[in-house]
Amino acid sequence: MPITDAMVRQAAEDLYSWALRKVPDDTKAALARAMEKETKEAARQTLLLQLRSAELAEKRDTFVCSDSGVPVYFVKIGSAAPLQCDFPAAIRQGYEHLVETIDPPILKHVTNPLTLERGYHGKDMPIVSYDFESGLDYVEMTCSPKALGSGRWAALQLFTFPTLEEIETYILDVAITAGAQHCPPVVMGVGIGGTFDHCASLAKKQTLRPLGTVNTDATLAAMEERLTRAVNKLGVGPMGTGGDTTVLGVHIDYASGHGFTPVAVCFNCWINRRTRARLYGDGRIERME
Amino acid sequence: MSGMVEHDLKLPLSDADVRALKVGDIVYVSGEIHSTAGIPTHKRMLECLARGEALPFDLKGGALFHLGSYNIEDADGGLKILYINPTTSTRFNDLMPQLIPALGLRLTGGKGGLDARSAQAMKDAGCVYLSFLGGGAPILTDAIKRVTGIGWRDMISHYRLVRIEVERLGPLTVAIDAHGNSVYDDTIKAIQDKRASILAELRADRERA
Repeated sequence: MPITDAMVRQAAEDLYSWALRKVPDDTKAALARAMEKETKEAARQTLLLQLRSAELAEKRDTFVCSDSGVPVYFVKIGSAAPLQCDFPAAIRQGYEHLVETIDPPILKHVTNPLTLERGYHGKDMPIVSYDFESGLDYVEMTCSPKALGSGRWAALQLFTFPTLEEIETYILDVAITAGAQHCPPVVMGVGIGGTFDHCASLAKKQTLRPLGTVNTDATLAAMEERLTRAVNKLGVGPMGTGGDTTVLGVHIDYASGHGFTPVAVCFNCWINRRTRARLYGDGRIERME
Repeated sequence: MSGMVEHDLKLPLSDADVRALKVGDIVYVSGEIHSTAGIPTHKRMLECLARGEALPFDLKGGALFHLGSYNIEDADGGLKILYINPTTSTRFNDLMPQLIPALGLRLTGGKGGLDARSAQAMKDAGCVYLSFLGGGAPILTDAIKRVTGIGWRDMISHYRLVRIEVERLGPLTVAIDAHGNSVYDDTIKAIQDKRASILAELRADRERA
């Protein structure tokens, strides 16, 4: 039995809706851990308020934030997955059905960049990227709707044969520029190398990595640890009113490239919107988070 | 909230009311507030003031917050708000220094803060900036009692200027007070001072690894 349009439509709709209502478990745990370690009373109170907001949204089945963002999906297609579906059309249909039926309704955030006209629909919407993965017999769909608050602080710069020092200085400076405005504590995704577009994609995917997972590359694991420490020393704190917790994690990936080395940095706000489901050939849609 | 000064504010407020507030204090707001998430709305307010036209509401002694909201119109033309949440205030950096004195605002707020020009305007005019929890929709929406006015219905829902009666909206943090203190400016200054030593620690950590 193949994976069908109906399954993809359903997953596209559910994943977005879940992302607006539930803060991932690893993120709630990280906020709670941060609260225990915070030395500033105001910061502890903000973290507590964030956890309460997450809990209330879940209990009442409503949204944590009013900015539902734009829909962004990542589709990982197993090379052994049985397919009988048109992904782009099915995802678009799932999103369009969501817009019409979601309760509470969502605001019109989809913007035409040339006219600034706002609505739910537009060119290239929803934004979807596809990857293939060898050996898997399922499709994994991830949704990470992107809102204005944290979306606008992402940055990318091209270096030529940079030292690690230059790379890390740039990452810290991007965090400094974002300051308090991306709803900290945030998850920071970093991509190093490849090409312009590949690097941005690496950074974005690192924001989707669960908190607390240790990088399998020892050099990157050490880098993540020291950059997390460095960013938290800035003292920006939860919602920017001071404190030890500005970042919940710095996640880094790299790709080999030429001598021109892009470095990309992006952020997920404390809500860390990220939902994931697997679609199997027997018709099952398994919610992963 | 032990060790923190809390204030219950009832709008409208006097100069003395807001001068009593200090950076870091916790505030709950009751009364009628005004909200919008729109840059076009802010520009329209300034255009009206420049032309000497009346705004939909008199904001003197009151509050203008940078809040996004989803509202639905009732059959009788009334409005019901389903949820509210702060939007990034720095988007209004160029507009707030003029709007704060011109409107006679005592409170403004949202998330992410305002820059030094607004902090100066607040010091001169007697106004404070309140930091809202971004992603605090369930908590903040609970404070809404009813919508008491809608300005500029021709705009999309979250751009309209909406007058809302709230009860104990909060907790909100005083992030810029009326004495020229701003947690945002302080943080930026502290970061500039610390940047070199943080980079030196990064280098030392790297060399140890």
